[in-house]
Amino acid sequence: MRRLPVYLVLDTSGSMHGEPIEALKNGVQVLISTLRQDPYALETAYLSIITFDSSVKQVVPLTELSMFQMPDLKANGTTALGEALSVLAKTVDSEVQKTTVKDKGDWKPLIFLMTDGAPTDDWQKGLNEFKKHKYGMVIACAAGQNANTSILKQITETVVQLDNADSGTIKAFFKWVSASISLGSQKIESGGQEISGLSELPPPPPEVNIVL
Amino acid sequence: MDFEKIIAYLNIQPEDKEKLAEFFEREEIREFLLQEWEVFLKTDCSPVEEDIINNENCISDNPDNDINMAMIPNIPEDEETKARQTVNNQYTDSKDNDLDRKLKSKHIQLQNGKVNQAYQCLFDITVFDIADIGDFELVGLEEIGLKFNPLTDLIEGIPNKAGDHRIILKCKRSEWAEGDPIFERPITLIINPDPRSLWNNIPTPTSIEYYKPDSDCKYVKVEKTKGIFGLGKKEQKDIVAASQRGRSHAHEGTPRDDDFSITHQDEEGWYIMTVADGAGSAKYSRQGSLIACQTVSDICNTQFSKYNKEADELIKDFEKDSSDVKRKKLGDALYNIIGSAVFKAYKNIEKEAQDKENQLKDYATTLLVTVSKKFKFGWFVAAFWVGDGGIGIYNKETQYLKIMGEPDGGEFAGQTRFLTMPEIMQPTEIYKRLRFEIVEDFTALILMSDGITDPKFETDANLNRIEKWNKLWEDITSSVDLTDDNENSAEQLLQWLDFWSQGNHDDRTIAILY
Repeated sequence: MRRLPVYLVLDTSGSMHGEPIEALKNGVQVLISTLRQDPYALETAYLSIITFDSSVKQVVPLTELSMFQMPDLKANGTTALGEALSVLAKTVDSEVQKTTVKDKGDWKPLIFLMTDGAPTDDWQKGLNEFKKHKYGMVIACAAGQNANTSILKQITETVVQLDNADSGTIKAFFKWVSASISLGSQKIESGGQEISGLSELPPPPPEVNIVL
Repeated sequence: MDFEKIIAYLNIQPEDKEKLAEFFEREEIREFLLQEWEVFLKTDCSPVEEDIINNENCISDNPDNDINMAMIPNIPEDEETKARQTVNNQYTDSKDNDLDRKLKSKHIQLQNGKVNQAYQCLFDITVFDIADIGDFELVGLEEIGLKFNPLTDLIEGIPNKAGDHRIILKCKRSEWAEGDPIFERPITLIINPDPRSLWNNIPTPTSIEYYKPDSDCKYVKVEKTKGIFGLGKKEQKDIVAASQRGRSHAHEGTPRDDDFSITHQDEEGWYIMTVADGAGSAKYSRQGSLIACQTVSDICNTQFSKYNKEADELIKDFEKDSSDVKRKKLGDALYNIIGSAVFKAYKNIEKEAQDKENQLKDYATTLLVTVSKKFKFGWFVAAFWVGDGGIGIYNKETQYLKIMGEPDGGEFAGQTRFLTMPEIMQPTEIYKRLRFEIVEDFTALILMSDGITDPKFETDANLNRIEKWNKLWEDITSSVDLTDDNENSAEQLLQWLDFWSQGNHDDRTIAILY
């Protein structure tokens, strides 16, 4: 079984307190219940959640969609984005099976990173760690106007911005994430093709703006 | 948070503004506020209760208020006029309040289950470490086929309904008496659907361009040799093939992209088989695979009729003397027959694309070809292979296995080569992809698309492992009766193609010479 690993890297710093963190939890919940109805995703997608605030935690290790349990997310502290990137790199390295002559490994992981602010740690160091590994699509999401898109642009080509971090907008973002994961697993199961660019993803909703 | 407004609202000293942020960040403050908020919401949405209280207040506030009883009509005796009680405020007791708050703030989770699969989950209420919880029950389990066993603390059963189910944990305080509150805490229990039940099977609309039936199968019966006066009749190998649209296509109502062709020349004795897998990403690949199979089959047919004698001579020569010179001579001849058939297939697809003003890559397809013939000394088998999938000569008795080429796996998963790539249609590339072999006999010569090799072999390296072929053969023959001249086996083979393999739902096509 070749898995499609999906990593959600989520900002849970103090600025996410209140509506944004509730919206985030809700968004993840919607994501899971939608994907559980999709036969492609249910069979191939594996999900992990890494949160970052003052420190970085993998709150859910890479888990089969059907066994996924919603973690309790709380917002407080600063924004250790750099550390999040290096933890992500390490985690992907240890959790995702590589393809060898004998075994077909997992599909390349899809990464969705979401932040509402600017990093407060040495992000450049984390970025260097991150760049050492190979991923499938990496999509960074700037939630609201306070997020630093120019830093996100250095992490990945594909950056989207939400006008604000209210529940409707965050929900729209997660619906799009869910549709993207569905499409990714569909492409894999029907023809062994991976998603390779933003143009192959479903069109984002009006709340989600592509940062050029 | 707008602290300026809060400062104004609470009348706080502006210099304490910094501390205010810290204050609101504290978990217990937040919980307390939320708690109060919930109480506020609850009291706010019970207008009836409030009305009554207000009325009472009115009366008690004005003890001297003289009501003229005669002015009011008699009270009718019905439900509406039952003397109303004020609802007990469940937050009056601070101990209750505390228990309820603790219960609500706990992160309680139940392990996910799967429909129609035995479920067992330990539910030990003591781990929540809430003092003085007494009796409790879990409401909502029975409706979905589960029950809680208080002796073992296990939730058990076979869930019969998929979904996010709301189970209510109802708790009583240890010294509970009638009229005391019962505390409730909803818990979500996730029961996953059976993935098989989620797959739709939508027929492909016949109105689409290049419509192709969702499945196909064929049997080529080569009857026993006549013998002399009915004696010495000999069985001859037959061909069976089947092709089934993948679940991923059936789910979307999109067409099958695979194709095949099988034929036998009764005169010259050549068996010609092809299997092609149209690329999932190419919009007319179903036609690409069809043109490829038909063209190669037709051209090989005519060429072998025309050059049958020459081919036979070269093969016999090679059998006697398998020197490089003879090998080269035979290879060149096969290049002229099979190679030109493959090249013509490419040209035909190119022409179709031009006629319809489409791109050549819209018709991208892989192609597997074998031509084989029985001689006195054994079987001659030649093959051409571009793309993924597999061709193998398998002998169950002798455990002989020969893979007739190399799958174009590509450096990364999902990258393959297609017949429609101009760089593949170069003489050296075509030549490189030709293989031929003389074998004494075989159980089966099998061509299959990656819809079968992916689930059955997993990796390209495994394609060379005889154990995998043994397993495949056992699997096929357990449901397909591959005896001589059994025409029913085509339908059986098609049925077999429906096997379940998680995450593998591509089109599946197989052709077997046996």
